[in-house]
Amino acid sequence: MDLEATRQGPAGRLRTAMARAAVVACALSLMGCDGVQSALDPAGGDALRIYRLTLVMTIGGSLIFLLVTGLLLYAIFAAPERRVWLGSRRTVIIGGLAFPIVVLSGLLPYGLIVMRDTDVPRSGALPVEVIGEQYWWRVKYPAEQERAEFSTANELVVPVGRPVTVSVTAADVIHSFWIPNFGGKVDMIPGRVNRLNFTAERPGTYRGVCAEFCGDQHARMAFDVVALEPDAFAAWRDEQANPAREPDLPDRARGRELFRAGGCGSCHVVRGTEADGAFGPDLTHVGSRRTIGAGQFPNNVGTLAGWIANTQHIKPGVRMPSYGSFTGEDLRALAGYLESLK
Amino acid sequence: MIGRRTGQVVLMLAGLLAWAVQFTIIYGATSTLCGLDRADATLLGIGNVQAVVLATTLAAFLAAAGALAWLLWAQKRTSDQAAPADRFMTQAGALIGGFSLIAILWQGLPALILPACA
Repeated sequence: MDLEATRQGPAGRLRTAMARAAVVACALSLMGCDGVQSALDPAGGDALRIYRLTLVMTIGGSLIFLLVTGLLLYAIFAAPERRVWLGSRRTVIIGGLAFPIVVLSGLLPYGLIVMRDTDVPRSGALPVEVIGEQYWWRVKYPAEQERAEFSTANELVVPVGRPVTVSVTAADVIHSFWIPNFGGKVDMIPGRVNRLNFTAERPGTYRGVCAEFCGDQHARMAFDVVALEPDAFAAWRDEQANPAREPDLPDRARGRELFRAGGCGSCHVVRGTEADGAFGPDLTHVGSRRTIGAGQFPNNVGTLAGWIANTQHIKPGVRMPSYGSFTGEDLRALAGYLESLK
Repeated sequence: MIGRRTGQVVLMLAGLLAWAVQFTIIYGATSTLCGLDRADATLLGIGNVQAVVLATTLAAFLAAAGALAWLLWAQKRTSDQAAPADRFMTQAGALIGGFSLIAILWQGLPALILPACA
């Protein structure tokens, strides 16, 4: 038996397996690159600038790392007479002084120019106010010309092509507002208003997250970002400014009565009804939102009912108590009413 | 009178001192002018803040360059018989001075590229 072959065999197989694993790992990590919440899939000019900066830094850093590692191995393993130049004064001055100074002198203005061109306020921008609360997002569209002000929650709808200025603050603790596809993060600090400017250049649905630990349910504090064509945005805006629609089915009317009798209106607004609580999210058009619970579930009767009955099970620590005392039938009526508030 | 050693240490650290003074002035002036809403005013066509930063940077650069020139000249003059401590301080001073020149330029650069009070 060929001893050499048996020794090489497992090592060779191990190498092949490692190479395959590396390919799979690369493919898996790249799969995460495009998507609704990815800084590697920019959908606006600001995000694109940040993405390019990331590429330059990552690729440049990797190349320099490989170069230094190569030189290190060369210094360790090369024959002494071949590696002697590595210790010369000239190598130290070029590699240790001149090279970093030249690289950093290039990167510094580049980084500053990216900073200058990103997040620039533009005239004619759509103003939006977002307030971070434990653990959801209050979104206000201030009145603009003849269009009335209205509030929504956990959903930022923006027109494609028109700059947006988001003024952010927080109601309780520090949160951070981040839509990776559109730009950088900005802290939401109680008592202070920070601003973020971006322009969506591609229609679609994206996702924003809280990027500053804000309590138990920080990880479940997301919001949908929907970029619509200008016409569709105008239509959405008009619709949102309307008061809540009247229940069109007896079951939904019963749901509205349960909403009233259950005291939901002491925390939630439903414009057009007596519900005017300002503590929780505005529910006037809750049925039109894509998700509930700050991005936790798709929005439908089932998840709405589950949420009402079980908030403390789904997101322990949220301000809304679980309303587990509703019967199944009542819960269906109540959730059906909310779902009809398109 | 300042002792010889004290003078040597100050000269060795001249670049860092110039950098520190520049840092303090440009940070202080920028925050103060922005805080007082005086940043929009211009001086000979350039913004207030930019003017302060440019003037401070130029002064700090010239101070550090002067110290460096002096040290390089001193280095040439130093005989081989000079005390090791003296030779070390001259050489270290020249190196520190060189780095400080670059640091001073890098620190003044944002004022030319970024808006003063963003």
